[in-house]
Amino acid sequence: MKQSPADKQAFERMAPGIITAAGFLGFDERSPDRIIAEDERAFEELGLDFNNVADRLEELAHKGEAGLGEPITVGELLVQSGDARGMLPCPWEDGFFHKNAVSVSPADTPLEACVEGEDMLIYSELSIHMLRAHHFCQGRGSPFRLEPTLLKQLLF
Amino acid sequence: MSPILVGPLTVAGISAVLALIIAVLDKALNNYGDVEISINGGERKLEVKGGSPLLSTLAAENIFVPSACGGRGTCGACKCKVISDVGPHLPTELPFMSPDEIAHNVRLSCQVKVRKNIEIELPRELFSIKKYKTHVEKIRDVTHDIKEVLFALDSGEIDFVSGQYVQLVVPPYGDIKESTQRAYSMSSKPSDKKHVELLIRLVPGGIATTWVHKFLKEGDAVELVGPFGEFRVHDTPAAMICVAGGSGMAPFKSIFYNLYETSAFPEKDIWYFFGARTSKDMFYLEELRELQAKWPRFHLVAALSEPSPEENWAGDTGLITDVLDRYLQTVIPKNDKGWEGYLCGSPGMINACINVMKKNGITEDKIYYDKFA
Amino acid sequence: MIDAPSVGLLSLFLASILTSNVLLANFLGTCSFISISKDFKSSMGLGVAVTLVIGITAAVCWAVLYFIIQPLGIEYLSFIIFIIVIAGVVQMLEMIIDRFSPALYLALGIFLPLITVNCAVLGVILFMQIRKYSFPQAVIFGFGSGAGWWLAIMLLASIRKKLDSNNAIPAGLKGTGITLITIGFMAMAFVGFSGMIAVQ
Repeated sequence: MKQSPADKQAFERMAPGIITAAGFLGFDERSPDRIIAEDERAFEELGLDFNNVADRLEELAHKGEAGLGEPITVGELLVQSGDARGMLPCPWEDGFFHKNAVSVSPADTPLEACVEGEDMLIYSELSIHMLRAHHFCQGRGSPFRLEPTLLKQLLF
Repeated sequence: MSPILVGPLTVAGISAVLALIIAVLDKALNNYGDVEISINGGERKLEVKGGSPLLSTLAAENIFVPSACGGRGTCGACKCKVISDVGPHLPTELPFMSPDEIAHNVRLSCQVKVRKNIEIELPRELFSIKKYKTHVEKIRDVTHDIKEVLFALDSGEIDFVSGQYVQLVVPPYGDIKESTQRAYSMSSKPSDKKHVELLIRLVPGGIATTWVHKFLKEGDAVELVGPFGEFRVHDTPAAMICVAGGSGMAPFKSIFYNLYETSAFPEKDIWYFFGARTSKDMFYLEELRELQAKWPRFHLVAALSEPSPEENWAGDTGLITDVLDRYLQTVIPKNDKGWEGYLCGSPGMINACINVMKKNGITEDKIYYDKFA
Repeated sequence: MIDAPSVGLLSLFLASILTSNVLLANFLGTCSFISISKDFKSSMGLGVAVTLVIGITAAVCWAVLYFIIQPLGIEYLSFIIFIIVIAGVVQMLEMIIDRFSPALYLALGIFLPLITVNCAVLGVILFMQIRKYSFPQAVIFGFGSGAGWWLAIMLLASIRKKLDSNNAIPAGLKGTGITLITIGFMAMAFVGFSGMIAVQ
């Protein structure tokens, strides 16, 4: 199917250095609409729901705020809600989001030993928005990639 | 003329005429001529070429309005009051504007184009802001994700007040094609006018922090713009209740060592609350303890929120807000000099601390903070 | 010079909006019609832009047709020449709007350059050529067709706004599918106008 101009522009804005340094696609060679379609299928197979996952991530970010920028144990997870100066626009241009970075990892692994994407999730307000509104988990290799299997393993 | 040539020549002719009209139109339309920017009611007048955004036009005249994103309209830092009419607020500006700011015609200077004579208002301190050429003298890891970077000025001296920040100019690197700027509080002493020290925490995916952590080497040339900011010690006898974690330490390091060195505000007692999760995440602890030992009015309260048993942590435990609450209620002497709050950190941390301070009788106008947002 | 059809300007204007609506009767310019009508505000912007561009290019292309193409006898190149003229006019319009109305420029955004490849624009100009309109007729027909396109996209945008909040649509029809069916119904409804004024 032909991409709509809005989607096409959004996909262009995901390239490195336009909105963020690394961009949203990592080393993923698939086009963003393929990434979205394949993640939607993965979510279905794992029995995950985009809204539920987004709610859960939001809840963790909120609980992590009690650590005031430092990591804090929430249940069996270690959550760090950090904040940076400034805001980021969504590639689909439907909102501005604080440039925070929340990291979630298993509480029994030391933070330095965790690897992004393998046993640690990193996300921001923008990631939650893109997950909820656009079903977009970002490309493989992006530090903010929300890998469906990892979401399932850590959150539920 | 050969009939075969008529077609191509006509098409070429029409294209050429259209291209000519467009070129002439471009010359006529995008030539705004010389325009005048009048700052603070004529206090300073600049003759500039029109057609560019206000932010970059002012920067070309060596007036640096603070901007964390370098003019892309994503940080909302470069606000400035525009008195003359430059049209309605653009959709790119509105997310950053409060209704009050819209009513007073506060604009983002990176989004407003200078098309005719305009009148603006700027804080006078911006006139003393300069761009400094420096090189990296030393980089040190203070925790697993915070680096202490010392920049040496190549020429000139920087005059600043402890608590202010500078903008780090990040050149294009890797896949990033444009230069950007990010703001960091200075942790060095104002008395050392030849150096600037910054504490930079790695933000995943951050353009500037990734550059500092993964690319920057000792000896590299770097540009800094500054100083900016209103965060500073207030001249009262009230005790300072300072709270910061992580890289929020930077302005306080500068403030403490400056007060110690200059013995300024001798009536002020200083309490510094520093929270981390485990002792591995603590830094500068030795230095600060040493400072406490030789400087009676400085009190360090370091607290761990989740110390493991094998660390043998003898200090306070719990979230820094709970520790702060306990100290305000039972430890810190209440006298008629009163208390002042000084905070640096994420908005969540600042809001939580403001609540604790208000509960303990520090009014909001006596709480000063530097939000990272 | 040309032998223009004898049709009143007002009836030509109304006819180009209603009975021979460039979108719903001729199905021209459906690509942007479908993708942009998702959003009411963008539809408004695109409608204004299309109307302006069709009106102006119709006038310019009329002059090019009768003062350059016909005298030189190069009708076989008229497609290429028209496309060049359309692109040039759109480019100029973009620059002029940016200079004098930055607010409108921002509202139109990417849609203005996109119009260059909107087939409704070329379609209207080719009709003008085939039907041998006089200059006033060409201009009226141009603006009328643009207004008709604008009307159609506003109607569709309103309908889609209602459709979006309706959860009863089967998954397979959501989005473009139901939109195409809707356009079909709209076209049938517009056929109802055809008895009123007939212009060819």
